[in-house]
Amino acid sequence: MNAAVATSVFGVFMVLTVGLGLLAVRGRGSGGGLADWSVGGRSLGPVFIWVLMAGEGYTSFSYLGAAGWGYNYGAPVLYVIAYMSCGYALGYVVGPMLWSYARRHGLVSITDMVAHRYGRPWLGAFVAILATVCLLPYIQLQIMGMGVVVTTISYGAISLNWAYFVAFAVTTGFVVVSGLRGSAWVSVLKDVLVVGTLAFLAIYVPLHYFDGYGPFLDRIVAERPEWLTFSGHGGSGMGGGWFVTTTFLNSLTVVIFPTTVAGYLGARGADGLRRNAVFLPFYNVLLFVPMLLGMAAIFVVPGLVGADSNLALFKLVVDALPAWAVGVVGVAAALSSIVPMAVFMLVIGTMWGRSVLGAVPRLAPRQKLFSQVVVVVAGALALLLTYTVPQTLVRLSLISYEGMAQLVPMILLGLVWRRITLWGALSGLAVGAVIVCGLVFTDHDPVWGMNAGIVALAANTAVALAVSRWGPRTADPRPDGEVLARDDEDFAGPGADGSVRGAAVSTP
Amino acid sequence: MLKRASLLWLLVPYVLFLAVLPLVDRVRPTVLGLPFLFFWLLLATLLTPVAVWLAWRGDRRRPRREERGRAA
Repeated sequence: MNAAVATSVFGVFMVLTVGLGLLAVRGRGSGGGLADWSVGGRSLGPVFIWVLMAGEGYTSFSYLGAAGWGYNYGAPVLYVIAYMSCGYALGYVVGPMLWSYARRHGLVSITDMVAHRYGRPWLGAFVAILATVCLLPYIQLQIMGMGVVVTTISYGAISLNWAYFVAFAVTTGFVVVSGLRGSAWVSVLKDVLVVGTLAFLAIYVPLHYFDGYGPFLDRIVAERPEWLTFSGHGGSGMGGGWFVTTTFLNSLTVVIFPTTVAGYLGARGADGLRRNAVFLPFYNVLLFVPMLLGMAAIFVVPGLVGADSNLALFKLVVDALPAWAVGVVGVAAALSSIVPMAVFMLVIGTMWGRSVLGAVPRLAPRQKLFSQVVVVVAGALALLLTYTVPQTLVRLSLISYEGMAQLVPMILLGLVWRRITLWGALSGLAVGAVIVCGLVFTDHDPVWGMNAGIVALAANTAVALAVSRWGPRTADPRPDGEVLARDDEDFAGPGADGSVRGAAVSTP
Repeated sequence: MLKRASLLWLLVPYVLFLAVLPLVDRVRPTVLGLPFLFFWLLLATLLTPVAVWLAWRGDRRRPRREERGRAA
């Protein structure tokens, strides 16, 4: 009975999700080009951008991993909140900068920007392939995350393998047709459910199990103080130094992460992105909830080990709530997989359609079609690997974020500083990538109490600067204004939302 | 270089989350029952939007590009 109720709730919402995603492009026909599909025609208003970008940040990790880390380690998990907050602040500068650069030159992804900056289409293709290697594991993590959730909230009625397939089918079902706009619409449904269910759980769970926050917090302070500081909890290897370096590295990486950039580029105007950067950090308050509930689970369902600890939150939910409510929480968690997964697939499709296949002149006119095909292929590949060799991508995901971080000098430094040469940026990237792989795959992450990625990034930057200074130069006759991004454009002058901006800057 | 000095407000989250970490990495005193570290990071999370807002306010007060050109 419970299984039937929860599964029905879940099923209805999944149909609703695909419907909503498809509704987003109703009446727009199929005539729109790649930019219409990849970045929503650069026309999304502030509210959509807010829910989309908040939605991307709140992945299945937030429900599973965050609670699991809270359960296993406690305080170190707070790095997620720290880096997202710092990253959103940094995005205040970087977001509008990338947006106007992309709009000025008609670009749709970071690989497109790299190709334009360095004047080499093959560089775009090369970076697209590297980025795909880093992103594919994330798709798989979302598929696996959603699979675990769906199996749990259906009380086992939906098997893990079917749940994986549902994750793939629902996501592909709308993103292929409706692209970024569809993802933004689904994000609205997701945010309503996520905010609603987490607010409810934040109040209900401590009351239900501990008679309120006071007794819960008193108990954790008294019995588990080592969970509450970075320095205290021995053995995790994640002390204060790890926290600081990881937060710093990730805050730099998140602003150039291909999915974040897709959100930036979808915006209607640069000033909208700046306002958005003011309001986005509020969303991070929500992240405290699964972390605290994960820590509450220490007392309620002790003894979870390994992958089971990721279910710390859901064990509480299934234990404490009636079936229909379990279904709703499950839908919120499932959508937290679906939205990021949709944008990941979209971004991979865009990068390949534009920078890899689009670099072949004969194929260039059909970029959008190729992108859509690549979306399905990438999703299917991730699904296939989930079934056959799940550990391969999980292992690869360890280097995903730290690997993507190695693009920071090439993109951020390159876009503001003309002196960075093609060979400088490439050498830096190569050195950084080798160091990340070397340290992570030999189990040296963290290294010397620091995030391995930051060690690699330091070497990467040093090499990029040195090779740019003393290495070979390539002639590029284009003026700086054509090649570099400016940090302060689009404050003035008529733009897509010139009226708003005009009003904003007219105050003395 | 510092034509947009208000952007320095964007460093505030880095200070709140990272620079002062050695001082706040502690369980006691608890504030409203929250362990001190969690209280501090919650506070930092709530202050981050304020810092970004201050940066944004600084930008709003800048003259338009053409006005700056005229003044120069």
